[in-house]
Amino acid sequence: MSSLIPELYVLWHPRCEPGDALATRIHGWLRPGNGLGPQVFYRSLPAPEAPPGGLPPPLPGESRPLSAVQAPPPGSNLQVVILLIDAFMIAAPTWRHWIGQLAREQGAAARVCLPVALDTTAYNGPVALHALNFLRPAGVPASGTAQPWADEVVETVSRSLLKQLTETLCDLLLRPDDAPPGAGPGPTLDLARPKVKIFLSHAKKDGTVPARRIRDYIYSQTQLAAFYDENDIPYGSSFSRVLEGNVSGPTQSAALIAVRSAEYARRPWCRREFSLFRRPLPMPAAGRMAEHWLLNPTLVVDALAGGVHTPGIPELGNTAAIRWSEDIPAQEEQIVTTVLRDVLLAAFHRAVGQTVPDAPNHVVLNWLPDPTSLLHIPRIRQAGAGLHVYYPGRGLTGLELDTLTDYFPEVEFFSFDRMNP
Amino acid sequence: MNPLIKAARYRSRDSAHRLIALSLSYERAPLLARGFGLEHLRELLVLLARPLLRQGASLAYGGRLQERNDNFTFDLLRLVSAEQDEAAEREKSGDADDVLPIGRLFNYSAWPHYLRITPALEARWINSCRIIRIDQAMAGIAPDQCIPDGDFDPDRDVAHAPRRVPLNSAICLSAMRRMAMDGLALTSPDVARTESVPPVSVRIVLGGRMSGFSGFLPGIFEEVLLTLERGIPLYLLGGFGGAAEVVARALLAPPGTPLPETLHAGWQFKNAPALEALRRMQGMQPLPYGALDTETGLARLGTAIENARGRLPQALATGLDDIETRELMETRDMRLAAALVHKGLEKKGFVMLAA
Repeated sequence: MSSLIPELYVLWHPRCEPGDALATRIHGWLRPGNGLGPQVFYRSLPAPEAPPGGLPPPLPGESRPLSAVQAPPPGSNLQVVILLIDAFMIAAPTWRHWIGQLAREQGAAARVCLPVALDTTAYNGPVALHALNFLRPAGVPASGTAQPWADEVVETVSRSLLKQLTETLCDLLLRPDDAPPGAGPGPTLDLARPKVKIFLSHAKKDGTVPARRIRDYIYSQTQLAAFYDENDIPYGSSFSRVLEGNVSGPTQSAALIAVRSAEYARRPWCRREFSLFRRPLPMPAAGRMAEHWLLNPTLVVDALAGGVHTPGIPELGNTAAIRWSEDIPAQEEQIVTTVLRDVLLAAFHRAVGQTVPDAPNHVVLNWLPDPTSLLHIPRIRQAGAGLHVYYPGRGLTGLELDTLTDYFPEVEFFSFDRMNP
Repeated sequence: MNPLIKAARYRSRDSAHRLIALSLSYERAPLLARGFGLEHLRELLVLLARPLLRQGASLAYGGRLQERNDNFTFDLLRLVSAEQDEAAEREKSGDADDVLPIGRLFNYSAWPHYLRITPALEARWINSCRIIRIDQAMAGIAPDQCIPDGDFDPDRDVAHAPRRVPLNSAICLSAMRRMAMDGLALTSPDVARTESVPPVSVRIVLGGRMSGFSGFLPGIFEEVLLTLERGIPLYLLGGFGGAAEVVARALLAPPGTPLPETLHAGWQFKNAPALEALRRMQGMQPLPYGALDTETGLARLGTAIENARGRLPQALATGLDDIETRELMETRDMRLAAALVHKGLEKKGFVMLAA
């Protein structure tokens, strides 16, 4: 898995009316819960020092010989440049030159440009962009970007854009560090890599509608793979070995979606799948003194019918849930894109965790800790005084810290932002 | 470990009863020209404010109680309210001994802007927010010069308002900024106890309008002046445009450097037409004691800036060294700016373990 810590830059021409709204959606999507994900910055209006009609501030590490202000050195090891391309950007010589240079230039940080076509002229960009695969959000109005878009248009376009962007970023961040280099320096998107796989856990006794719909969506509308035990276990193979290989150990799926119906808690296999998946995996030590642990994300799709009673199960821990409803259009897309975003965040937090100072009393997690998952880590379970546990984000609430301290009184918890605010 | 101290290790009592003033405002163009949007400012606000609230400090903010992009009153109210709810839950669960009372928001509102605040709105947020109304009498306006509240509807076209409204409004704004700095005692009829509002202990400044402002001078200018004159810690985030950037650049210049023209009364009168009207009205109605008119305010600010140049860490009382103080005033990196504010506050005795 990659150790890239991306910073994202959203670029749009100042006359692109929906630019602000799309950039805001991208920011909100990738930094949920008040800043849990990678940094997202904007580039649109000319920098304060720029001449009229000039360019926004340079990207860190960018060389811009005529600029009055030197770019700061890169603050991350990967820049992802999201170009919201429309006729204004294509027709403006300054911008056209800039985006071409960004696509060509190899600075101190690796840079990946993700062009987004906001109208049909987007493909007339500089040559350096021609070889790139454009994100093509659905629902872009034919009238272009000169006028503000209606809220429902912004909603449709953003949803489609975020789906494509999330998949693309996952491709980048789940790529192993030792993957063979692509055509150019820095990360590339054209590597032959196994598809990101999502495990669908469900109780067949309650019917298979939500799980099937999610699976069908994954196969027909995404570049992901789904493990769905009804037809993904080859005939003659060991049922339990195949299942366990998909929910635990190094070959486990990148995420698990549990369709929680009335019988889910009573099905031993369902509980076992979920329980195994929620068991943290140790990262190889590689000469480190600190322990690093990984937990791939889970999402519960609550498919309980109204008024139905079902037992609770502790394995669910602090897993987030989405209520299944036949009335919500494209709900499969929402569910899959959300879990994929969580895969992306888990990979990001894993990479950020590697920057925690190495010390024998440090344990580093890539998820927000809860007692159920922490109890699987022997070092924490048996902790003596002075054990520090580092976790993603900007700090748990006092209530959550109190609960953790009840379970693990000798452990001190630190958010990544405490280490590097 | 003693369960009574379990979460207390993430807390400090050092900042309890202190009042931290936030002078933050959003203006799209200067912020976007530096690569940021409203979302970044909201993140910064939470990053700065939450740890302070958790350690018992209260916040002072002069924004209006209106859901608008250019002020953060409701963002702060929601934050205070959420933190209070959580502390209450912890108290109920038996952890009362280590739960510090969460600070609250002091929202200053000068006449006539507070006329828009309805009892329903005030009642809704009463446990999170103390609204402090600075009326014309408190601002020192003579009774015969006061405009009865009933004579003026702030939602009505300004053209139909009494002529003296802009002047009285500017006087009240100036008084509000002064009173917030110095603290005040509030009384209620038939209530024996006086409610005391603490003076500002620290001011954090970012952005600020350079045009279209109310009052005799841009609000940030007046607040910076009052803070510098009182020697209170001032964290000036000057890399994000607006009035804060103007003041920061002036402070960063070597001693003796002429002030930028935007800090001169002549430029302000030329570029802010409302100021000229205020000046004409001042001729007819002398200002109350303490109120800062444009010329006096900018002259005093110029002096305060000159006195601070070359000794910024001491003059701004940041708790940071010279390099860090300058970095704070220039950086366009919000995370770095927040980290420097936290570092300075830690050195000033505001331990930030609960970030």
